[in-house]
Amino acid sequence: MPDFDVIGRSKPKIDGRAKVTGEAKYAGDLKFPNMLVGKILTSPHAHARILGIDTSEAGKLPGVKAVITHADVPELKYGISPARWDENIFCRDKVRFVGDKVAAVAALDEETVYKALRLIRVEYEELPAVLDPLTAMNDGQPQVHDEYPRNINTEIHQHFGDVDQAFKDAYHVRTDRFVGQRTYQCPIEPHSAVSMWADGKLTVYSSTQSPHYFQYYLAREFGLAMGDVRVIKPFVGGGFGGKLEPTGLEFAGAVLSRLTGRPVRMFYDRHEMFAHNRGRHRQYMELTSGVDRDGRILGLYANFIMDGGAYTSLGVASAYYAGAMLPLTYGFENFKFDMYRVYTNLPACGAQRGHGAPQPRYALECHLDMVAKDLGMDPIQIRLVNARRPNTVTPNEFRVNSCELTACLEKAREMSGWDEKKGNLPPGRGIGVAVGSFVSGAGYPIYRTDLPHAAAVVRVNEDGTSATLYTGAVDIGQGSDTVLCQMAAEAMGFTYESMKIVAADTETTPHDFGAYASRQTLMSGWAVKRAGEEVKAQLLSMAAELLDVDASTLDCRLGVIFDVASGTARLNFTEVARTFFVKRGPLVGKGSYAPPKLGGKFKGAAVGTSPAYSFATQVSEVEIDAETGEIKVAGVWDVHDCGTVINPSLLSAQVHGALFMGMGESVWEQVVFDDKGKIMNGNLGEYRLPTALDMPKVTSALVHGEEPEPAGPWGVKEVGEGATIPTMGCYANAIYDAMGIRLDSLPLSYEKVWKALKEKREQER
Amino acid sequence: MYLPDFAYYAPDTKEEAVELLVRSRGTARVIAGGTDLMVKMKQGLLSPEALVSLKNLDGLKEIGTGSGGLFIGSRVTLNELINSPVIQATYPSIAGAAHQMANNQIRHTGTMGGNLVSAVPSADLPPIFIALNARVRVTGPAGEREFPLSDLFLGPGRTSLAPGEILTGVVVPEQKTTGSTYLKFGLRRSGALAVVGVAAAVTMEGPTVKDARIVLGAVAPVPFLAGEAAKTLYGREFTTELAEEAGRVAASECRPISDIRGSAEYRRDLVRVFTRRSLEKAVREGHV
Ligand SMILES: Cc1cc2nc3c(=O)[nH]c(=O)nc-3n(C[C@H](O)[C@H](O)[C@H](O)COP(=O)(O)OP(=O)(O)OC[C@H]3O[C@@H](n4cnc5c(N)ncnc54)[C@H](O)[C@@H]3O)c2cc1C
Repeated sequence: MPDFDVIGRSKPKIDGRAKVTGEAKYAGDLKFPNMLVGKILTSPHAHARILGIDTSEAGKLPGVKAVITHADVPELKYGISPARWDENIFCRDKVRFVGDKVAAVAALDEETVYKALRLIRVEYEELPAVLDPLTAMNDGQPQVHDEYPRNINTEIHQHFGDVDQAFKDAYHVRTDRFVGQRTYQCPIEPHSAVSMWADGKLTVYSSTQSPHYFQYYLAREFGLAMGDVRVIKPFVGGGFGGKLEPTGLEFAGAVLSRLTGRPVRMFYDRHEMFAHNRGRHRQYMELTSGVDRDGRILGLYANFIMDGGAYTSLGVASAYYAGAMLPLTYGFENFKFDMYRVYTNLPACGAQRGHGAPQPRYALECHLDMVAKDLGMDPIQIRLVNARRPNTVTPNEFRVNSCELTACLEKAREMSGWDEKKGNLPPGRGIGVAVGSFVSGAGYPIYRTDLPHAAAVVRVNEDGTSATLYTGAVDIGQGSDTVLCQMAAEAMGFTYESMKIVAADTETTPHDFGAYASRQTLMSGWAVKRAGEEVKAQLLSMAAELLDVDASTLDCRLGVIFDVASGTARLNFTEVARTFFVKRGPLVGKGSYAPPKLGGKFKGAAVGTSPAYSFATQVSEVEIDAETGEIKVAGVWDVHDCGTVINPSLLSAQVHGALFMGMGESVWEQVVFDDKGKIMNGNLGEYRLPTALDMPKVTSALVHGEEPEPAGPWGVKEVGEGATIPTMGCYANAIYDAMGIRLDSLPLSYEKVWKALKEKREQER
Repeated sequence: MYLPDFAYYAPDTKEEAVELLVRSRGTARVIAGGTDLMVKMKQGLLSPEALVSLKNLDGLKEIGTGSGGLFIGSRVTLNELINSPVIQATYPSIAGAAHQMANNQIRHTGTMGGNLVSAVPSADLPPIFIALNARVRVTGPAGEREFPLSDLFLGPGRTSLAPGEILTGVVVPEQKTTGSTYLKFGLRRSGALAVVGVAAAVTMEGPTVKDARIVLGAVAPVPFLAGEAAKTLYGREFTTELAEEAGRVAASECRPISDIRGSAEYRRDLVRVFTRRSLEKAVREGHV
């Protein structure tokens, strides 16, 4: 390992103190003079025509300052995915799910807002609803959107190599079917936005993962120049994909503010968050593979259907991701992928941690274990046979540089005691394995643009004692502000403790696409590294002038400028930086990053491309109560190939957090609807996220290749989403090992285990 | 979600509280910890015109033993049940039941009285109290009365309290039971309501079961005394097989429904399992 001064160390979080003392202000905490409170009225029906809306009573309520409906807002449809802009600020002709946006109110206080909402009279004509994605495409089904016949939102047919021939050549061909459920991100902080529209300029404070996309879409919707829209991210309490796109809170809030001339704070409560959704899709997954005698995969066919809900959100990408990520981990050549993403009259699904990848990965990891069983192979062995090698290209044309999946598997095997445990555990106990891989940033932005993906500026403050990093990167709790400051300090030869940061404000910080696709450490990191290096070069040239030596003889580390050859300290950062300002003006460095051109030319080729990929293996050991189906997780071993580590404690927090989410989806989480499309568990009591008490003991380790990842600054790769991906398959495989039951539908709930065990006993009788 | 408008009273005496409730003609409700009531009001399931808080009635916070047995005031919180030295010394199984409830924040605020009067089918305290033959004390316009806790429950959210009546406490009479326990099956370790809850109280004479009471929660509209299951035990030597037999009878006696937390079929089988497990625990470990 090269030696670093600032990166590679568990520096305390730069915002830790503000958060633990409660000083940190989230969007919903902000207060401005004359601020109003706003809320959105939503549809009680899954599918209904709007016959009329009467807001007159609501408008008369004392304290109400504005009531708006579709008549008061632009008609232009929006969405995060330009492929399908299918959402209106307020429904115009009909509502498409329980929770669809119908009207909004701004009033002096929350109490009045709620009262006013109840006074709005909406006349509906109920329509038959589409709730089942499997029949949604049938003839004669109601149409969710007239523009999309047979309710098909996205249709994908990809074929690389020749899968049919591969199956003919195969020693063994097998098909299995699996189901993944709708789950919701459940960030702890509910969505909030404060909008202020004054003097032709719209300013929005929002709990967002991407000020840039919010700025872009707000400007587009209201016909404003991007420069007249300012989006600012205060502290954010988690997003996980659910806060990537602007919501009714920003759009309606902007209009309410324009009409009243006052700041308007809008928010979702917990149930409204569930209705706004953008969580994981429900997915029906059929996998067929053909393998040779050694278990080598010759070809894979994935045939999927996704329940997209009423709108597209990021679902086109989710649909492509679902197939595209499968070949990353295993080196097969022939791959076919068919997918229909269908509209239903349910909340819209989008990107949730791991995006389209975790459920198909669960399916493939279960399927592969079943293939291994057919062949009499050990699950780790079949994965070792197939594990992708470094410097290879997937059939769908993703270039993989560093890849230590084999090392991950071997390390996980050793750490977990796999060889001793497999087949030797007491009854009711089992051990399972699964792997995963994820992008370190998407190769292309969400809408087509030639903007660089990230940019940064570092300004050394005039007295030279500190430096401020200006970055559009978005810290939503994961710690990007901290790691980027570490990276800036490393690149400048300064200390972390001297760093300040201004981030995620479209007016004061340079452009960055934001927190999604595990992109910031690599992409924003590049921009920051370049900005820091530019500062250092200027600093050293100043020092060289002062010392009358050649700049190339000098370097700077941790604020000390020294002679490279002898190692003698000559000057310090602070005094040279101050002199620089006096003699040459502001000491500023800037940097930006755009990935190289990536991927193939076929339709959808962009989705899944990335400069670099992380790889991971998880092994888990479970204990099943054979009478109740209760699953206790005795231990999890997670091994990651995530490149160079900037902050070890933040990295392990990401692994734990991602595993926690993966675990929730494995065993507990599912958004449930009644037969009218109403959410039955839109609260934290009945939508059960695991609690700290449910967290198993996690042992994690990292593996590194001989060469650092060339595509990342200092060789970094992603970790934030990767650890969510193997977990579901890993648990399912461990449950199979323990009890001999194969659960083909998530979540692997206690009752499903109980039921499968009962059926197994009945069969054996 | 926003609370509807209501008037709020915090009287200083029980008499005043009763008076306020009577005068409201059924439009007022008692509020203790509010952990059940506030949620229902926010969801629009209840909209009382007035709330009568018991917060100034310190007499309702008492825990003590006397000639009648163990007395627990209705305003005693769930955490106070858990931490009370008196309960620890008499029926730790009550503390054990309380400890399986909700989460620490809710246990700090929620009260025993609220848990009983809310008459939620999955509530965790009724089974253990009914198993221990507890009686409730109420005060109302017609004065004080005391009756078996099992008679309090009429259906989900419905009790036999007369208009204006307040639950003042619970009495666990002196008894010969040698062991009792409550086992809850929830879908995660904290903050999950019972899919099934089973309380068992047994009186052993050597290896023989002299008397037993088995109470099932969350498998009928009200907490449910599994009489037939208990009868299978009387006078017989306790074994795991016998407990299993009682479990099977309890499973056939209960009347579960399917809901978001579990199917009727699952609940029925869980009743068998937890009846056996709770009996074994009460027999072998005493009041736990
Ligand atoms: C997150 C969460 C988790 C929970 N988990 C559990 C759980 O695991 N198990 C469980 O059993 N419950 C659970 N509950 C429900 C609730 O917290 C408990 O039932 C609690 O004991 C209720 O007590 P309280 O004092 O808050 O009742 P309140 O809400 O104040 O009152 C409940 C009802 O009882 C009436 N009432 C209260 N006291 C009296 C009295 N002295 N006389 C007459 N009427 C009275 C009120 O009018 C009201 O109708 C949970 C609640 C929440 C919010």
